[in-house]
Amino acid sequence: MSKQTIKVTSAEGVTTLTLDRPERQNAINVLMVRELEQACYLLEDESKDQAVVLRGAGEQFSVGIDLHDFPPDQKPDVRGFSRWERACRTLERLPMALVAAVDGQCVGGGLQLALTCDIRVATDRARFCLPEVKQGFLPGMGTFRLAKYIGLGRARRMALSGREIGAAEALDIGLIDRVCAPGGLDQAVAETLEELRPINPVAVHLTRRLFDESFEIAYEDFIGCFLAAQDRAIKTDPFGATVRRAHDAGE
Amino acid sequence: MERPRTAAPPRIVSVGTANPPTTYTQQDLLELFHCDNALVRRFFESSHIRKRHLVLPDPGPDGQVPDESGEALIQKHKSWGLRIGREAIERCLAAHGARPADIDYLMVISSTGFLCPGLASYLVTECGMRPNTHRVDMLGMGCNAGINGLVPTSQWAAANPGRLALMVCVEVCSAAYVFDMTVRTGVVNSLFGDGAAAALIVAGASHDTADGPALLDFECLMIPEAREEMRFDFEAGKFSFYLGWEIPYLLGEHIATPVDALLRRNGLKRRDVKHWVVHSGGKKVVDSIKYNIGLTEHDVRHTRSVLQEYGNLSSGSFLFSYQELQREDVVRPGDRGVLITMGPGISIETALLRW
Repeated sequence: MSKQTIKVTSAEGVTTLTLDRPERQNAINVLMVRELEQACYLLEDESKDQAVVLRGAGEQFSVGIDLHDFPPDQKPDVRGFSRWERACRTLERLPMALVAAVDGQCVGGGLQLALTCDIRVATDRARFCLPEVKQGFLPGMGTFRLAKYIGLGRARRMALSGREIGAAEALDIGLIDRVCAPGGLDQAVAETLEELRPINPVAVHLTRRLFDESFEIAYEDFIGCFLAAQDRAIKTDPFGATVRRAHDAGE
Repeated sequence: MERPRTAAPPRIVSVGTANPPTTYTQQDLLELFHCDNALVRRFFESSHIRKRHLVLPDPGPDGQVPDESGEALIQKHKSWGLRIGREAIERCLAAHGARPADIDYLMVISSTGFLCPGLASYLVTECGMRPNTHRVDMLGMGCNAGINGLVPTSQWAAANPGRLALMVCVEVCSAAYVFDMTVRTGVVNSLFGDGAAAALIVAGASHDTADGPALLDFECLMIPEAREEMRFDFEAGKFSFYLGWEIPYLLGEHIATPVDALLRRNGLKRRDVKHWVVHSGGKKVVDSIKYNIGLTEHDVRHTRSVLQEYGNLSSGSFLFSYQELQREDVVRPGDRGVLITMGPGISIETALLRW
């Protein structure tokens, strides 16, 4: 299925989703939201890949939502935002490890997308910012995710001020996990993926889901979910192999 | 591709529920039975149940709850089963504007006592149904039985378009208990509540979501190697239920099999299902189902709230959750729903709905 706004490629167990509107600095329009969601469903249903890398075409990640999608003479409605959040959640809930590879601008909806990933790798010229509040709307469910990474105080300041943050500061406050030179992004992503291997799909999927919910729920409510997830993980082949290796090593 | 459908699929056109009037918090019960076993207390306190409707004797002059004989328990099953069964039926029929004399088929489900003649024969006369109402009593199938009952009830309705088939789950769990301060009975006594739920099934075309969802298909799975994990034992003239600790994990391990088979056969993915109605089996059971088929906390909101406000009502639980969903008024034409119940066997029963 050919897509106009994103590119989907797969190699060596890794799918790369590229936001592909370089002429518009990879701005996110209605079609891109739909194509992203379709791509996620296809990955969920058909793919055996164990990791997904999310990146932007050219030297930008994304400048965020494409405001040209809002006809100036029409009353805006919230359904487009609902579809956008559904696409983000579908991406976040994929049963794979997700890595965002960020170069250049990572703004608004672009940063919201990066926040759905497990690990964020960026070049030293990457710039992060949530301009929405200054523009009179809301930074989506970034309001739900951002503070988990950088703390409530920093998240409030970042969202309310719309201040742009460089890669060094982003690394410092935990917004991203690794910084590299502009030419070294592919290498840094490859090394990040290498750190994740071997990727045990069940364990990765369930751990991601538990982390997703970890700030929302009391310990007493969480423990049952953890035990259910752990029970499933310990019945998979990788854990069985780990146990056998431990025994073999002890003999 | 969906399976070919009849022009007039069976629909759940209304539901009604009823409970005995007296409610107990977990703390009330620990005090009533003077329970000082720390392990048993922990089951009560960590159950995520706020209150339950139960029928229990008042304490005697010595402050102790009198021991109820096996005979007294079966009498309680009969008298309270008829009372809440009748109330649930009346509410269900009133919601559809139907009269008891309109009912052509009555399916009564229970696991909290054995009677011969069965509850259905009493309910026909108590409610004022016709003497030529077809009757079925389905006994001893436990918490999953509501969907086991929907299969023949909906098939009867489909074979007799326009005629009224009624299914009622009647569970007086306080008529099937032993309280002996052991962990075994503590688990059970901290969980179950009394309640009845009726569902009226009629085959006919729909014009509105208010006409109720069509019952499109069913799928089930039995896990016989775990059969002994959930069972009634008969001890000193009383039924004593046993729940194994592995149940949440066994259900979690197998839940995807029937759910995905049901959906695949009907050309659907899990994400196409808008509404999930899951039996309120217990906190860990719900957690395990949720994590193993990727449901959200929103998907199981009614399952949780029914557990919290009523405890595990055995076969009727899922209809209480279904009723909460209907009351929310969020269903839209074309929405798909999945009903899931779990119980002895070990059984997982599923049904596919379309509004």
